[in-house]
Amino acid sequence: MTLLYRAIVLFILLLTVRCQFRERDFWRQATAALVVVPLLLRLLMIK
Amino acid sequence: MRIKGTPFTAIVLLLAAAGLAAIAGASFMAMWNDDLFVPAPGFEKKMLSDWFDGLSGSPADTPVYIQDGEAPGGTVLILGGTHPTEPASMVTATLFLERARVDRGRLIVIPQANLLGFTHNSPQEAHPQSISFATEDGGRRVFRYGSRLTNPIYEWPAPDIYIHPASGQQLPGKERGNINRCYPGIPDGSVTEQAAYAITELIKRERVDLSIDLHEASPEYPVVNAIVAHERSMELAAMTTMDLEMAGIPMRLEPSPKNLRGLTHREWGDYTDTMPVLMEAGNPVQGRLRGRTDERLALTGEDKAYVKAAALGRLYIPYDGDQRIEYRVGRHTASIMAFLENLELLFPDRGVRLEGIPTFDELQEKGVGAFLNPLKM
Repeated sequence: MTLLYRAIVLFILLLTVRCQFRERDFWRQATAALVVVPLLLRLLMIK
Repeated sequence: MRIKGTPFTAIVLLLAAAGLAAIAGASFMAMWNDDLFVPAPGFEKKMLSDWFDGLSGSPADTPVYIQDGEAPGGTVLILGGTHPTEPASMVTATLFLERARVDRGRLIVIPQANLLGFTHNSPQEAHPQSISFATEDGGRRVFRYGSRLTNPIYEWPAPDIYIHPASGQQLPGKERGNINRCYPGIPDGSVTEQAAYAITELIKRERVDLSIDLHEASPEYPVVNAIVAHERSMELAAMTTMDLEMAGIPMRLEPSPKNLRGLTHREWGDYTDTMPVLMEAGNPVQGRLRGRTDERLALTGEDKAYVKAAALGRLYIPYDGDQRIEYRVGRHTASIMAFLENLELLFPDRGVRLEGIPTFDELQEKGVGAFLNPLKM
């Protein structure tokens, strides 16, 4: 179940990064970068 | 101000996010390192999995220390660290672990009952990650200041509703990570329920006569500076409460509610033959009225908002501007010693006698660190 959960987190993380690269507004890119932080920590099962 | 975003800025921001995650990750992972204890001579170290194989190899498998006295007597369990946000609990258990010399009977100490609660903290509560004490050799003893609940890395997914297996009681889902809602525990449950099951098994198999679960509570919570006792423990707890009141330590005595399930003072009594009690000291860092939250607050309990609340009569403890850890640990220590005296008085064949434990006054005078052993090099 943990692997499935982490796969979902990875999928959302990739979607977030994809949005970040397609975004043309710097501040919205920054918002996406902030979302990436907890997703990374959760993907690595740190927090 | 509008700034154009480009693939280059996206890469820079992504790298910044990765850097932030690395810094935060290192900070969180620092809490995965075990705390160090220096047991007094005579203690034998075991693991909780010795009473329940299912915990073997689990990160919830916490150390259990046992010391036998020369003279036969009863068995007493001191449980610290049920809630890692209540540091006087773990520190009191540590004092007994590092100071006790058992003359009669047997003492079992578990300093960190919910070990997985110590592997993370609650940053959104501004809680510190650790507290420390200066020892007499000039060194410092550092202990983690964890979270009330099991680390969600191990205790997930949290159900929407936690249904207590033994009673069907319904609680918010996150309470499945609260070991003091999981007793008597189940062998095939979540990691927290398994740890609770193992502690219940220990109490049964070791025929523990008196089981003491140590806590702290916010000053505005009615069950504070209190002993909560199961029916079987009530006479012993009443005698202890009177002794403490006569010694100038204010103490309430509360009966364990029969319809509040999963807690030590209820389930240990219903599912084993022990006499369970739970004790609460007053701790402003637990409270919702507190201001700046840091290690200083956890150690001193000094908070001006609580001074105002006390003046308004909103607190359930006497509060003169602080609630130092020496006082909170001193309350627990004096209470445990009073329990032991009365245990021997009420049940002469089940007595447990200890030496080496600092008195309430000694703790106020010298502080907690003076009674912790220096770390061996």
